[in-house]
Amino acid sequence: MAVKMTHQGLLIYITMGAYLAALVLTLARRPRAGLGLFGLGFLAGLAAFIYRWVQVAHWPMQNLFEVFVTLGMLCFPISILCRRYLRIGGQAGDMLIGIILLFPAGFVFKAEPQQLPPALQSPLFAPHVAVYMISYVLMAKATLCAAAQLLQRKPKDNLLPPESATYVMVCLGFPFLTLGLILGSWWGKLAWGNYWGWDPKELWSLVSWLAYLGYFHFRYMFGTRKANLNSVWAVTGMVFIVITLLWVNLSKLFPGLHNYATS
Amino acid sequence: MTKWRRFLLWATLLLLVALTLFSIYGAFIGAQRAQAFFGSVPLAVYWFGLVLLLMAGFQAFRRLRTAPSSFCIHAGCIAILIGGLWGSGTGRDLQNRWLGRSIIPDGRMALVNGQQDNRVYLEQDANEIRELPFTLGLDRFRMEYYPGKLHVQDNQSQQVWTFPVEPNAVYDLGKPHGHVHIAGVYENFKINIEEDPNGGRQVQAYDDPGPGSNPALAIQTHSDPTPQYVFERHSGHATAGSPLVFQYRKGMISDYISEIKILQQGEVVAQKDIEVNHPLYYGGYHFYQSSYGQDSRSGQMYTVLSVVPYTGLYWVYLGYILLCGGVAWHCWFFSIRRILKQEVQHGS
Repeated sequence: MAVKMTHQGLLIYITMGAYLAALVLTLARRPRAGLGLFGLGFLAGLAAFIYRWVQVAHWPMQNLFEVFVTLGMLCFPISILCRRYLRIGGQAGDMLIGIILLFPAGFVFKAEPQQLPPALQSPLFAPHVAVYMISYVLMAKATLCAAAQLLQRKPKDNLLPPESATYVMVCLGFPFLTLGLILGSWWGKLAWGNYWGWDPKELWSLVSWLAYLGYFHFRYMFGTRKANLNSVWAVTGMVFIVITLLWVNLSKLFPGLHNYATS
Repeated sequence: MTKWRRFLLWATLLLLVALTLFSIYGAFIGAQRAQAFFGSVPLAVYWFGLVLLLMAGFQAFRRLRTAPSSFCIHAGCIAILIGGLWGSGTGRDLQNRWLGRSIIPDGRMALVNGQQDNRVYLEQDANEIRELPFTLGLDRFRMEYYPGKLHVQDNQSQQVWTFPVEPNAVYDLGKPHGHVHIAGVYENFKINIEEDPNGGRQVQAYDDPGPGSNPALAIQTHSDPTPQYVFERHSGHATAGSPLVFQYRKGMISDYISEIKILQQGEVVAQKDIEVNHPLYYGGYHFYQSSYGQDSRSGQMYTVLSVVPYTGLYWVYLGYILLCGGVAWHCWFFSIRRILKQEVQHGS
């Protein structure tokens, strides 16, 4: 762990600080001030993303540092979208997710700019990684809703109950997860000649996708009668996503073609 | 719900859990062993079972036939599975046997500059060779690099400068060092020593186009206009009396390019520069930039191309389009709307 004494590091710390202050204010029952700070944090996060983009001169999602900066930046717009259009609350949870996601970018992963190897020089690089990032944040929010269901939390105002909120979030994120898997397969065909190479990363991505597919089928069978089990499915999917994103990239257990993401 | 439908739903859930567990197992055993595992006879039975289950679903659940999004999702899965089975090693063997085709399995070709060949060395057994019905010729294999970096450190003040390496570039180090001029960039630095008539020696640096690699820079500083040579392999070039230390890092490879032509009966019928992410499609096969090497005897560079037949590929792509479209439609425009409508009605 190390503090990054760079402009990039400063922007990340400002974002984290704003998210943390927003969380404190929201928990202190000052949600409007919290929302304002959340928005400011997003602007700093966006600045960090753009700064990195200019610095590396390519789409900044090549390694885990860049991925986690992007994930942290996405929390605010997804939170606003869910609140405004889908009646899903949990803003404090979104701020917490943002802080958790930015922490490894700020203190753990190396931030040295890297040049793109030939395999990553593809127009599919940006959409493949971007849709996965969006789906991961959406599924993380679904996990929070599932946790609220398991903890028997009641929704405020006219917000959706936790079980329905979980279902809506998974519905929102699953098409992105599907598209990410398919774009990766298409790209693999163009780059390596195989649309499916049985690579550990590919298999764990498939596992994540299958977990949510199982969630949909289980919910179709039992509806909301087994609300807690539905939530357990959703949480299991998130566990697999964390394994896909972190364990596969960082562990020597899974050598494969997707080693670019290691910082 | 009828018993038959309930059975199908439970069977689906069971098969999904099984595939999840198989995939987790496959992730731990590595790509090659996973490929063998998923292509084994028991798993072939599983794949057929999954296809039959999906087809039975169409029969049992009217909604799968009538709701476009549900139809697309499930038909897409069937198409992907059929394409995968059709394009698998076993699928191709069966096509060769039953349909009289002669599809070459996945393999590789190695070509040096100027060579023409139609032999493919199979992945499953490198000693087994098959011949394509046409010939590939390599005009030239080349590699492109990102610009390298010149690092300059002042050992007294510990200040560090980093500059991109460009021939004839001049960079200012500020006072008191002045500027540094990159007078030359070498891929394979060598020197030529000639005796001159006066009994002296003339040393001439040059870039050897032959085999070998010795990246180096020729630099001139403000304080010493005599060319100094900084070698990538030997870090930390310093001159006596100067606090500056120079280090050269050659840029990493940015691209591998094989300039390929396809010949049939001696005539060129297709040409393409094959790069990573830009394969060549011809005659039912895809040719990919896979690797490269250097012949230890002749020192010549050779390119290695992957050869992959595209059997079953269009079924898979069709399945992807149906699956993706169906999932987006069903989740975004059907399920979310239904939940929000239900909650509004429930609330009112």
